[in-house]
Amino acid sequence: MFPWVYGFSWTIGNIVFLGIFFSIVTIIGTTVLISLLRAYRAMQEHHAEAIRWESEFQDLPISVRRCRHVFTGEFKQRTCDNGFDCRSCATHAQLTQHKTTNSDDIEVPIHVYGFTMPMDRLYHRGHTWVMSEATGTYKVGLDDFAAHLIGTPDGIELPKLGTHVQVNGSAWCFKKGNSAVRFLSPLDGEVVATSDGSEGWYLKIQPQTKKIDTRHLLRGREVAGWLLREFERLQAKLVDPKIGVTLADGGTPVIDFIQSYPDRNWDTILGDVFLEA
Amino acid sequence: MESNQNKPRYGMVIDLDRCNGCGNCTLACAVENNIPPAQPEENERTGITWMRVYKVDNDKPYPENRAVYLPLTCHQCDHHTPCESVCPQKAVEYDTETGIVAQIPVRCLGCRYCMTACPYHARYFNWWDPEWLKGMETTLNPDVSTRMRGVVEKCNFCHGRLQAARAKAAVEGRRAIADSEYIPACAESCPTKAIYFGNLADANSEVSQLAKDKYSFRLLEQLGTEPKVYFRSEQPWVHQKMDTKLSAAAKENAHG
Amino acid sequence: MDKQYIARGVSRMSIKKFGLWMLPWSIMLILGAYAVYLCLIKGLNQTNMDNRFAFGLWIYLDLTVIALGAGAFFTGFLLYILKKKELKAVINSAVVIGFICYSGAVGVLMVDVGQPLRAWFTFWHPNVHSMLTEVTFCITCYLLVLAIEYVPVILKNRKIKQFSSMLVFEHELHKLIIVFAAVGTFLSFFHQGSLGGLYGVLIGRPFAFRPALGIWPTTFFLFIISAAAAGPCFILLTTALASKLSHKHLVTKEVYQMLGKISGSILIFYVLLKTIDTLIWINSTSPSLGFSAASFYKFSGFGTWIMFTEIVLCGLIPALILLNKKMRMHFAWLITAASLACVGIVINRFVMTIQTLALPTLPFDQFLSYVPSWQEVATFLAVLAYGMLVYSLSFRYLTLFPQERELESL
Repeated sequence: MFPWVYGFSWTIGNIVFLGIFFSIVTIIGTTVLISLLRAYRAMQEHHAEAIRWESEFQDLPISVRRCRHVFTGEFKQRTCDNGFDCRSCATHAQLTQHKTTNSDDIEVPIHVYGFTMPMDRLYHRGHTWVMSEATGTYKVGLDDFAAHLIGTPDGIELPKLGTHVQVNGSAWCFKKGNSAVRFLSPLDGEVVATSDGSEGWYLKIQPQTKKIDTRHLLRGREVAGWLLREFERLQAKLVDPKIGVTLADGGTPVIDFIQSYPDRNWDTILGDVFLEA
Repeated sequence: MESNQNKPRYGMVIDLDRCNGCGNCTLACAVENNIPPAQPEENERTGITWMRVYKVDNDKPYPENRAVYLPLTCHQCDHHTPCESVCPQKAVEYDTETGIVAQIPVRCLGCRYCMTACPYHARYFNWWDPEWLKGMETTLNPDVSTRMRGVVEKCNFCHGRLQAARAKAAVEGRRAIADSEYIPACAESCPTKAIYFGNLADANSEVSQLAKDKYSFRLLEQLGTEPKVYFRSEQPWVHQKMDTKLSAAAKENAHG
Repeated sequence: MDKQYIARGVSRMSIKKFGLWMLPWSIMLILGAYAVYLCLIKGLNQTNMDNRFAFGLWIYLDLTVIALGAGAFFTGFLLYILKKKELKAVINSAVVIGFICYSGAVGVLMVDVGQPLRAWFTFWHPNVHSMLTEVTFCITCYLLVLAIEYVPVILKNRKIKQFSSMLVFEHELHKLIIVFAAVGTFLSFFHQGSLGGLYGVLIGRPFAFRPALGIWPTTFFLFIISAAAAGPCFILLTTALASKLSHKHLVTKEVYQMLGKISGSILIFYVLLKTIDTLIWINSTSPSLGFSAASFYKFSGFGTWIMFTEIVLCGLIPALILLNKKMRMHFAWLITAASLACVGIVINRFVMTIQTLALPTLPFDQFLSYVPSWQEVATFLAVLAYGMLVYSLSFRYLTLFPQERELESL
């Protein structure tokens, strides 16, 4: 195998064969090593959350990855291929560049199927919202749809003060029965305060920059379209398969869907709603 | 391989008309080469017999039935030795000095690829752990190493005897050994002198002359392995059965 | 009970039922392990192989599973190098099947050789003229590649991927998957070929010997092409079987169609080459070695029907079915054709290993028979059991079929 081994000779056959073998082994080894080094570097540079989101997003069902411009009727059918990060999406930039006036912005809260979505805040596709405060910090909370869905959690896991959160990274977690749910952060920044939700918010974030980029967050009329589809998808999963979807004749949705429908596949449903694959 | 006065090419001519099937050659070989005693479950397909005598007949009923006994050993193939080229770890070596195909038991993996490659069924596998009963170890030949379980072995023209002859010649200050000083156990023990052994590269040797005889043939000539063991018979049916050049020529003459 | 380890959006049987499913395979594996123990401790006399049948059931099994496991490299080649995106639906399953086939083959090989501890000698003293050296080197490297390709599938298990370091490593490894796919294709080309070359170079076995194209006998190329044809068929069959046993749709119809069509095109090409090769062998190669081709088929049970079954019934017919769109769309025909194609490969490997050794070489030889001993059969079944266990665990806890989640919700 090696020149110093008894019986080795420098024949063409030996040179070619062993040459190719050592090249293959080197290629395999180097590639694995490069992967390990890159992984190490990514961990050191705190890219883990971004990589996690990129990986999770690929595994979400197509119906969950619908582009926001379908909600406003601009597209009939379109799947997001950018991890819901409209900040870096060329199509989104193209579609919004002509909107110099915020004709979509409205002041009155939106009501869809009995869920109330106030317009003083911006919404993340993962059903968290972000609201700016006078002090320059931002409040982050759970929207009405999510609150009705989960009701009171059995346990809350909040991040420690000083933790850095990233857009589409993990922010905080709930425990409910057998399920665990994690909520995505709508912005980048440092956690400066946490709450158990009794005041209506869960985190107060201090961003790195004075003004945050909010292009990836939903606002205005598109929230209605979004919520409509979210609720319809939920209904389809909750309904008795033998009967099918029935027409509601008014009323408000109950709080804590999970308790009301204990035998449904909440693992999958919550995963779809809160964007966890 | 180039025939060179300095490089002998050891071979055999076996006269099938003389062999009476006594099996002395098989026995002598087993004693000389430390073949392990057979296990109770061993049969004719799992036993080790570097030299083995086959009975070959003409498939005719009495009184036309004829038979010869054919001692079969490794033919030390001279050209593209099938077993050598296939061994994955070079445990088979064609010795360019003597033309003998050597086996290296300590390197053998026991994959048995060489056994599938050999058309002469000259190779044998150690399906069991070689075991000598208490006291039998005194009968072992110190010039031949024993083999272990799970390796292939075969005839090597009693290479140990060649080494002994060379050592003796060296002591006496000679380089070359005389023909009579090196003879394998099978040839030595044959009572009818059916096995001739010698240097095929030497045109004057007895084997060389016999090999060129018109009644001599080799098995599976058309495969092109250039075996160095010839067989000889003056009985036409033997040539027919073995599909030799002589029988082919006879057929052509008949159709002629 | 183990829901936290099972992916979201898919359902799996209860852990009790799963345990019941795994039980018979575990017993089979344990029995096989005992047979292996006997062979390793007492020696290969525990098998029914002998000096005439030096290769038996195990070598035949090795060649067959490696040919069927070719689906792993070929699917990888089609997906990552030819960019046939539909095959993303089966690549994970293909990798697991490939890993099972190759690791099983190597395991059996370690029992088959007389001195397993000397296995590294082939690396230390390689004989570059021997096909077996080539096989050893390539298969060792390729098993390594398959293990590396299996790792990302495992790292994406629901529980494991919660560890950020695991997920990040998987991500980085997957970015370079094309390197592994390319290396895997290169290695597979050579080892599938040299497995064929093993028999094609045997000048002492005129039944198997074939003339050389370059430095390799024609069987080298025929084995590669037949493996490439059988691979997608085997993936098709295993997917269909997994689908049937789990009562789920695992892939869309398009995926089955693509696998069938690719397999059919390669299969018809193979049948053409095999026919030409066989005709040359009958008319030229075999007679030049002193054996008429017909003489090989005069033994009872091993007549020319084997040749026709292999090439026509299990080669030409499935190729034509798979290439005919209407028949291919019909699921029953698709499965039949894929099965026939795989059977054809199984027969081909049998002919090259077992039939070759049964045939006489010397004029006074007999036609031999060989029946494997229970230890050999138990070891073979142990490989099957091992495969079922590994695949079942992978199917339950890993995402072998990315399309399953979408199809489940429909």
